[in-house]
Amino acid sequence: MSDVGLHQVSFQRDGRTVLDVESLRFPSRSMTAVLGPNGAGKTTLLRLVAGLERPAAGHITIGGERLSRDGAPRTALALSDAVFVRGTVRRNLDLGLALRDVPMAEREIRVRDAADECGITDLLDRPARQLSSGEAQRVNLARALCLRAEVILLDEPLAAVDRLTRRALLDDLPRLLRAAGATVILVTHDREEAFRLGERIVVMVGGQVRAEGARRDLLMAPPDADTAGLLGFLLLEDADGPVAVAPGELRAGPGAGGPQVGFTLQVADVLDLGRQRLVTGTIGGRPVELTLPEKAPSPEKGAMFPVHARSVVRLR
Amino acid sequence: MNDLTTALGEAWRLLLSGDAEIWEIILRTLAISLCATALAMILGVPLGYGLARGRFPGRTLVLGMVNTAMGMPPVVVGLVVWLFFTRSGPFGGSGLLYTPQAMVLAQFLIATPLVIGFSAASIQSLPPALPDLLTSLGAGRWRRLWLLSREARLGLLAAVMAGFGAVISEVGASMTVGGNLRGSTRVLTTAIVTVTGRGEMATAIAYGLILLVLAFAVTLILTFVQQRRDA
Repeated sequence: MSDVGLHQVSFQRDGRTVLDVESLRFPSRSMTAVLGPNGAGKTTLLRLVAGLERPAAGHITIGGERLSRDGAPRTALALSDAVFVRGTVRRNLDLGLALRDVPMAEREIRVRDAADECGITDLLDRPARQLSSGEAQRVNLARALCLRAEVILLDEPLAAVDRLTRRALLDDLPRLLRAAGATVILVTHDREEAFRLGERIVVMVGGQVRAEGARRDLLMAPPDADTAGLLGFLLLEDADGPVAVAPGELRAGPGAGGPQVGFTLQVADVLDLGRQRLVTGTIGGRPVELTLPEKAPSPEKGAMFPVHARSVVRLR
Repeated sequence: MNDLTTALGEAWRLLLSGDAEIWEIILRTLAISLCATALAMILGVPLGYGLARGRFPGRTLVLGMVNTAMGMPPVVVGLVVWLFFTRSGPFGGSGLLYTPQAMVLAQFLIATPLVIGFSAASIQSLPPALPDLLTSLGAGRWRRLWLLSREARLGLLAAVMAGFGAVISEVGASMTVGGNLRGSTRVLTTAIVTVTGRGEMATAIAYGLILLVLAFAVTLILTFVQQRRDA
């Protein structure tokens, strides 16, 4: 068992509380994305689990055992900056194994296997500090994987890569991480990464956990406006109070698709895109974009235009 | 020009003659300067590391003081040591003045700021996340320090070379606290001053050449270590 638990953990920096978690559990062998804006305390949480920081209060457990500074390392951390020591990729992959006293014969096998899985076999003898950003991220991941740790921690794994590499890594990462069989915690401020890589999602704002649960459950019912906003919902208000509208769920006119919640869109501009028209404007002061099919009636600039939403989550 | 050629010839003759006094001076010069540099490294590298990575009030001021001390005139350092160890000074009873130990101390004080300054700069030039990476991979404190030193070895060996270069070539401090006593505290630089004063130019040039060869040999070895490629 390698579940990770935070128990009344708080952490302060320069006299300011940057993390305050009453209780949080990452189930064994689960893949959890910790989503939040900059300064939410995500990286601090990761550093605490990795043993790079010590909590001001509370404690952290892995597999039910308290994390201690002197104990053998049980986590593998891939930092957002793919930092390398001098030398080849092979030396970089081998370093952690050597530091953890893995026998030489096994080290070679592990390095070869991790390189193979991550598609970096042909990079093994290249200087690690001369890799492209995409190659560097793959090596960074391979270095964490070859440690075969119970817990894998990824800090913004796709933050510094170009769009093509990001897409390729988003395709590969779920398979690689699942194959590792470890408890995976990855922090990100990008909701696409969180949705693609996390079976479970933890939403953090201001150093506190705002929501946690299975990805699907959270998407069906975000508990508050901050969480809904981070999950990509459009935050609006109807006669009964604040609602979160799922992205792409706004429709023009009094549609025929059953009961819906209606809003009035103040039209700012109508752009002709050929077969479609893009209507931009505001609902209750919030900017909104709406794509209209060719045959739909076109609103005038400055007009009030009725729209409805199919998927609405009423916020508590 | 003719004088110089004659002097050079005399220098070679002296070197090849196997003069016992020359060899004694060479060995003493090397022993004192290497000892002072080694001590400066032992104290200077950890202090440089602390200055580079530590965050404490007055850090910039301390760095500024170290940088200033890097250019301290050796004769001033010698004078300070002399004041401490002269008979009426606070350590006058130690009897260290005019001994090789006093020369090691003076040279250590000259080399240490250089080692601290170069070490701090080389550690600061490492990627900031490197210590965290090494910790997360499983390195304890001492292995982390060792690995970081390996990573910063270009700068650290430059620190050794700067420290050693400064102390083997200085004359002011060695003269002041060593006294240039024949058979006891005479080193190559003070010997050059002495024989030049006596007008023995060939001997002075011979000593100068030996000093250059010594400095070059030690620095060359360090350069080989510095430039060695990682596996």
